[in-house]
Amino acid sequence: MTHDFLNGLSAAEAEQALSLGTRVIVPSGTSLFKLGDTADRLFLVERGRIKLTLPMWVRGREENIFVEERGPGQAVGWSALIPPYRFTLTATATLYDAEVTALPREALLKHFAANPVGGYKIALNLAVVIGHRLQLFQTMWLREMQRTVESRSA
Amino acid sequence: MRRYNMLLTGLLMIGAGVYLFFARPQILPLGFVLLAGPFLWFAGIAVACAALPLLVLSTPVPPTGFFTDSVAKPPAMPLRQVPIEVLLLQIENHVRLEQAAAESFLALPTHDQLHSKTPSPFVN
Repeated sequence: MTHDFLNGLSAAEAEQALSLGTRVIVPSGTSLFKLGDTADRLFLVERGRIKLTLPMWVRGREENIFVEERGPGQAVGWSALIPPYRFTLTATATLYDAEVTALPREALLKHFAANPVGGYKIALNLAVVIGHRLQLFQTMWLREMQRTVESRSA
Repeated sequence: MRRYNMLLTGLLMIGAGVYLFFARPQILPLGFVLLAGPFLWFAGIAVACAALPLLVLSTPVPPTGFFTDSVAKPPAMPLRQVPIEVLLLQIENHVRLEQAAAESFLALPTHDQLHSKTPSPFVN
């Protein structure tokens, strides 16, 4: 299994980084973390799919609205590395049980300090993940705004 | 054709009333003819007068049958009437389609890709 988060690392470096974490099974329909929770662990999806949702008011009640889905090889919960260390989404295993590697922030930061080259590569990978998410949602936001402008101008 | 039935009935009643009153057929008693003739005449006028506004104001009804040429399209169900589970699935489907459109734009950033029309039925 190759992880986006560990791109560019040698097999030994990747193994060393993964050894910092523990495997966690997330039963289907169970939350891995919830919006507002303290984010002290980053998760790498090993198996299954994790759905990310945000709450929205629909017909007078709060519903979790789909935002995106992450699969094997992808990272979830990078709020663990970014202040104020609070999750900004809710993550739930989809139809099947999921398995993730949970990497504690403290252990990761110590590892980065001890291995600056590996830490730099991981930080770059993190920037790619965050940058892609930003560009994706920027595009989606603009498309929604375009529709709003068109509907209000009609 | 049903729209004209009432008018035809009224006209027939007028005709029958006029015939009874003026022709006075011998086989019918005179008292009956003198009562029934004017009654049919005036009642026929009333029925015909009532039929005219109905004929003018009513809209034609298309024939209903199995072999009709035009089948009325069922009206789109307003969002308010859609069950909430269906609505949430529609939203999820919309988000997935919009993400796919955004991914296409990021792979090849052009004005056309950015403003490509969404196939999402949620907003169409």
